[in-house]
Parts: sequence; C-alpha cells; structure tokens
Amino acid sequence: MLDIFIDYMPLFMFLVLAILLFSGYPVAAVLGGVGLGFGYLGVYLDVFVPIEFFNIVGRIWSGIADNLVLVAIPMFIFMGTMLEKSGVARDLLYCLQVLLRRVPGGLALSVTAMGTIMAATTGIIGASVVMMTLMALPIMLQRQYSVPLATGTIAASGTLGILIPPSIMLVIMADLLGRSVGNLFVAAVFPGLLLASIYGIYILTISALKPEVAPSLPKDIGPKDNKEFWVMILRGLVPPVFLIVLVLGSIIAGWATPTEASGVGAAGAILLALINGRLNITTLRTVVERSALTGAMLFFIFIGATAFSYVFRSLGGDDLVIDFVESTGFGPWGILFILMGIVFVLGFFFDWIEITLIVLPVFAPIIALLDFGDHVAKVDLVYWFAILVAVNLQTSFLTPPFGFALFYMKGVAPPSVKIQQIYRGIVPFVLLQVIGLSLVMVFPEIALWLPNKLLD
Amino acid sequence: MNTLLRIDEVCESTIIRIGRIAAWVSILLIVVIIFDVVTRRFFVLGSTKLQELEWHIHAVLFMFCLGYGYVKNAHVRIDLVREKLSERKRLWIELIGCLFFLIPYSFIVIYHGIDWWNRSFQLNEVSASATGLPYRWIIKAILPIGFAVLLVSGVTTAIRKILQLFGPPEIREIVNQREKKQAVRLDEAEIPEERP
Repeated sequence: MLDIFIDYMPLFMFLVLAILLFSGYPVAAVLGGVGLGFGYLGVYLDVFVPIEFFNIVGRIWSGIADNLVLVAIPMFIFMGTMLEKSGVARDLLYCLQVLLRRVPGGLALSVTAMGTIMAATTGIIGASVVMMTLMALPIMLQRQYSVPLATGTIAASGTLGILIPPSIMLVIMADLLGRSVGNLFVAAVFPGLLLASIYGIYILTISALKPEVAPSLPKDIGPKDNKEFWVMILRGLVPPVFLIVLVLGSIIAGWATPTEASGVGAAGAILLALINGRLNITTLRTVVERSALTGAMLFFIFIGATAFSYVFRSLGGDDLVIDFVESTGFGPWGILFILMGIVFVLGFFFDWIEITLIVLPVFAPIIALLDFGDHVAKVDLVYWFAILVAVNLQTSFLTPPFGFALFYMKGVAPPSVKIQQIYRGIVPFVLLQVIGLSLVMVFPEIALWLPNKLLD
Repeated sequence: MNTLLRIDEVCESTIIRIGRIAAWVSILLIVVIIFDVVTRRFFVLGSTKLQELEWHIHAVLFMFCLGYGYVKNAHVRIDLVREKLSERKRLWIELIGCLFFLIPYSFIVIYHGIDWWNRSFQLNEVSASATGLPYRWIIKAILPIGFAVLLVSGVTTAIRKILQLFGPPEIREIVNQREKKQAVRLDEAEIPEERP
C-alpha cells in the first residue's frame, strides 16, 4: 500500500496543488509550499534527502537570477506599461481609426491592427483585454456597432499578444525548453499574422455583407485638412510602429539579442512618451512601480514553480509521466492531441504564467519522445509545439463559458453589455482560432519556414 | 493589540520603501543595456562585465520586490472559489497560507540560502568567465535578503489577519483601511486622459 503511494506521489502532488490553488492564496506561495510539504513527506518516507532543499536554492539562482535571457522580461514589461500609461497606445488606436475610416468595419479592423502592433502590452491577458475594452468599446458602441461583433473583436485582438512577439510567454517558453528566444519569436511571426489576417477577413466580409452590424464612420471624423492629417500620422502612428519594427526587426535580423532589443524598446518607449509631452515624474513613477510589481509577481511564480518541479522530478515524476504516456499506446498525433487538450482545459482556470511554468517542465520529456517523421523535423519540433501551445491557450482564454478574457471584458464593459452578447460575439472568433490552429498543425511550415530561411 | 498594530505599520512601510527603491533600478538596467549595445557596436569593449551587470541588476529588481508585491496584493490568485467565500473564511485562508506556505518556504530558502552564500563567500567566488565581474558573493547575498523581506511580509500579513479575525472593531477598521490603501490590481488598467 505504502509502496503504491510512494510510486504515485508525484501524481498526488499535482492533485494537492490543484485543490490548494483554488483556496485563492497566491499561486507562487502555494507552489513553493506544496513542493516543500511533499519534500518533507518524502524525507519521512525515505525517498527524499533533506540536502536537496539546498539544491533548490542553487536552482533558483542559476535558473532565474543568473540568466541573461530573462532580463528581457522586465524590459518588455516596462516598454508595454510605458506605452500604455503615457497614452501612446491610445493615440495609435485613434490614428488607425482615422486611417481605416472608409473601409467597411474600419473601427473593428483598427482594433485588430492595434492588437497586432501593440502585442507588447504588459503580458498579462487580463490587463491587455481590459485596456483594449476601455479604449475601443465605448467608441464602437457609440458608432452603433453590433455588441457581439465589437466585443468579439476586442477580446480576440486583445489576447493576440501572447502569441505575437515580443511576447513574454514566448521568452519563458524558450527558456524552459532550452531553445533560442530569437528563433521562437521568428517562428511566431507568421502564425500571429495569419490569425490577425483571418480576423481581418472575417470582419471585412461580415461588414460588407451586413453593413448594419458595422456602420461606417461619418466623413468628418479625424483631422480637418491634409496638414493636420500628416501631423497626426507623424506623431501618433509612425513613432510607435517604428519602435516595434526596430525592436522586432533587430531580433529577427539577428542584429541584437532579445535582451538588448528589450532594453532599446524600454528606452524607446520613454523617448516616445517624452516626444508626446506625456512624460512627467508621476507617470514615470507609476510605470516603474507597476512594472516592478508585475515582474515580482511573475518571478515569484517562477521561484515557486522551481521548487515544485524540483521535488516533482526528484520523486520520479518524469518517469511516471513518460510511463503513463507510453502505456496509452497512442502515436505521436494522439499524444499531441492529449497534451493540447490538457493545455486547453487548464486555460479555463489559469493564466499562461502558471500553465507554462508548471506544465511545460512536465511536458518537456514527452515532447522529446515525439517523432512526426517527415511532417516536422526533429530539431524544429519544440518550436512548432510552443507555437501550437500559444495559439491553443489563446483559444482557451476566449472559449465560453469559462474563457476568462471574457470575464475581464464584462468587468469593465458598460452595464448595457450582457455576458450573453459577449458569448455570442466570441463564437465566430473561436472558430477562426480553431482554423488557425489546424492550419499550423497541418502545415508546420507556417511557423518553421521563416526561422529555417533566416538560419540558412 | 496596539503593539501588533504598530509592528505591522513599521513592517509595511519598510517593505514598501525597499520595494519602491528597488523598482527604480529598472531605469539603471535600461541605461546599462543601452550602454552595452552602443559600446559594442562602436568600440570593442569587453561586454561580459556589462552583461553580468545586467542580470545582477535584474536580480536586485525582482528579489527586493517579492515582499513588496505581497504587501501590495499584486501576486496572482485563483479567484474562482475565493470570491464566493465569506470575509472571515478568506481571512482564515490567508492566515493559514502565511503560516503553512509562505513563511516556511521563505524560511527554508533563507536557511539554506545563508549556507549557500557562505560557501561563495569562503571561496571568494568570482565570475566563471575570466573577463566577468569579481566578488560574486556580493550579489548572491541578494537571495537570502530578498527572501527575508518576503518572510517579513508574510509575518506582518499573518499579524494583520489575526487582528482582523480577533481584534476589536476599531482595530479591524484600521487594518482594513491600511490594506485597501495599498492594494493594486495588476489586471486593472486606466486609460490616460485624452490630449486637450
């Protein structure tokens, strides 16, 4: 009896973790506490040695602190927070609206374009969706857009940021899977653009077919004359787009490491705020403190997850997982679908931070076992898998009735917007996500062509 | 009761002060990265030192903000069940969480962390790279110190929960006000004013 318990201890670890997380105590501390508790239980049962707790300290240090790659994270957070708080993001959305005013569904398209360009907002799904809702929903409602189309567009575009580089999630995934952040960024470029364009095609089609859901904007919106128009473009559109292109371009072209590019991005964001006349000591203090808190939140989970996965592995978790996967007798596709299913369900309850940090280390040895033959080359497998997880998670955040991007949106939408309307509006976008996900699954080249091309 | 209230006040303001100061090193980090990028492109300087300095600064930034994040209630929680619970149940959960998760975990990391730091100090550890930074033990001290700040934030939160659970109404009110004043929600956004 006891032997069976010892064999399955890693499994119990996960069960206990899952239950305790719902207590609502901070995730990071629960992770650390459960790791510690099972460590001591292991000591009591003679399967864990106390000195291993010492190793955890070393692991925290070498994995999280002594790691130049992760320095990019606070810098990208800083960049996103600064662009948001200084009003640069808002001005950009206004410019896009004016530019697209003659296109059917122009307002909705401007939101999608905004989500694609400003993918670098803080990195927390809740914050991105809330920011986009506050900025775009009132205008769309005022212009008599149908509520489901407006909310669907905003939720889908606001969550695009976890996939489109510079996504903080991709930095962490690359680090956990031991791959290059730059390559993973490059691999995410086309899948991200693919999703953004199928949103765009959908919005264009539905607005052309049913003009009443997306009334066109009055002609008098925007600047009065040409001169004002160009001033607006030069101030509101060109600088942020230039900054994003500079940051991403230098990584993709291999001129700069992601860490260097992130520092340049953060400095550039300060510069943009300065040019816009929005930089004062209050804004700077808000940005500095909020970025520090976001970083602390993220790295605390990293620290807790380090302890948890260390104990999990030491108790034989890896072998248990691999044995289980092999005993199912599924081929690589079957296993891939199981992993994707797990990620999808977890996405109902947890943000990507918890999911990547807790689940990815467990999945890593399974991914290494998979062999898709000619479909995906072995060296490319991890990049492809990471992109699939990213698209899958985004879909999960949007799927009713749990998808928590929708709850965040409901929280800040005007009271006249009903949750049923939000649910109805997101359905077409979830279908588009499934199409996008299937395309990347069937045609791995969508993700892998660009990195392979650039490496040659 | 009043002594506990006073202890909480001192702990809170100290943790927040440490966090706020540490938060500003992000500006220093930006400067160092820019300096590294520029100098590497135009003059050939050894940039190993600068790159090590970058993660040294990053370590200071997040380690000193762990406790700050807890006092500010910025750490992620799974709210699904929690928001349906009564006020008293939530207070109990927070107290139990501090006593069984946060405090023991920080304590173990500090306990082994001091030993771990001491080894580095005894060896007079330097960077593994020949052109790296000397005195590695200085930055390594950040780990036990950062966790000590976190530990204090756990202790002071436990004190608060005890006051809120068992204290007289006027003390509860003071603690509630204090908590409310500091809490930030990272998933809340506010949009800056439109340009006049």
